[in-house]
Amino acid sequence: MIFREVEDRDLIAKARRGDVEAYNLLVSRWEKRVFNYLLRLVSNRPGSREDALDLCQETFLKAYQNLPKLEDPARFSGWLFRIAHNEAFSLLRRKRPEIPDGETPLEAQASAESPGRLFPLELSLAVDGALKRLSDDQREAVLLKVYQGFKFDEMAEILDCPVSTVKSRLYAALDTLKLVLSPVMVRGGQ
Amino acid sequence: MSCKSYDWKAYALGELDGPARSQADVHAAACADCREELAAVRMTLNALSTLRDEEIPRRIAFVSDKVFEPRWWQKFWNPNFAAACVIAGAILVHAFARPAENSARVQAEIDAAVNKAVAEVEARRAEQTERILSRYDERFTAMYKTTAGLVRQ
Repeated sequence: MIFREVEDRDLIAKARRGDVEAYNLLVSRWEKRVFNYLLRLVSNRPGSREDALDLCQETFLKAYQNLPKLEDPARFSGWLFRIAHNEAFSLLRRKRPEIPDGETPLEAQASAESPGRLFPLELSLAVDGALKRLSDDQREAVLLKVYQGFKFDEMAEILDCPVSTVKSRLYAALDTLKLVLSPVMVRGGQ
Repeated sequence: MSCKSYDWKAYALGELDGPARSQADVHAAACADCREELAAVRMTLNALSTLRDEEIPRRIAFVSDKVFEPRWWQKFWNPNFAAACVIAGAILVHAFARPAENSARVQAEIDAAVNKAVAEVEARRAEQTERILSRYDERFTAMYKTTAGLVRQ
């Protein structure tokens, strides 16, 4: 008996022939990554967890329906995130962000807090807050590059824009994050 | 190269290829400002990496709905199968229909040829019989005349 790893393209081929169980296995491989991408993308909206889960389900349903149109199974991840991106932005265009009036900017919060060692949980909360303050486009660029590990050209395909646009969004986001997080990181000893 | 020509964000994000990366390494070793800029980018990326992925609250799974499943004949009915059916049909028609038609036509032609041959043979025999009979007739007449002459004498 010979064992070999079942690759995504094997599962895609089976799913294309109507094998729902093969598709479920493919979903189980990708659902956590897609869910976290969507969760962070819509995180500055109320009910973001439920929205992210609904978007995630919708993404995988649309992916199943459009699987025969996927030309190159090796590029499944980029294709899947493009569907997720489209789903998320159709929601983001409908739902405006709700940041309560008078909320203190994160920079001010960070400098106003008492000095002392920052715990990892506090730092991750600060990062979460800082990401929410980016524009949707900038936040998405950070999510795709830093958390999902896509290359610039793959990001350009997912976002359907030139590589130069991807870089300018990402670099602007990193500059903002550096500015917002540097007081926190200094206190945390990063 | 000046400091501005080095993209430290791309460097820290792993987007530079081998030669560009080596060149940047050499420059960073000699330039304190660039080392500081690179350290700031790395610090930001390290901070971002503290955010952990959350578990999905409900697993996603799909079930096959029988209502939407194609019927048994629809599973087979695709362009390739249809083409195969047409070819198989043509072969069957060729195998059974055409030979039957051919054999009937050939049989008719054989029958006609045989009938024609029989008719020709019968005509020839009738002609031969006619000739033989007329020859006997002539001989009989001659013999009769000879015999009648002898009797008169």
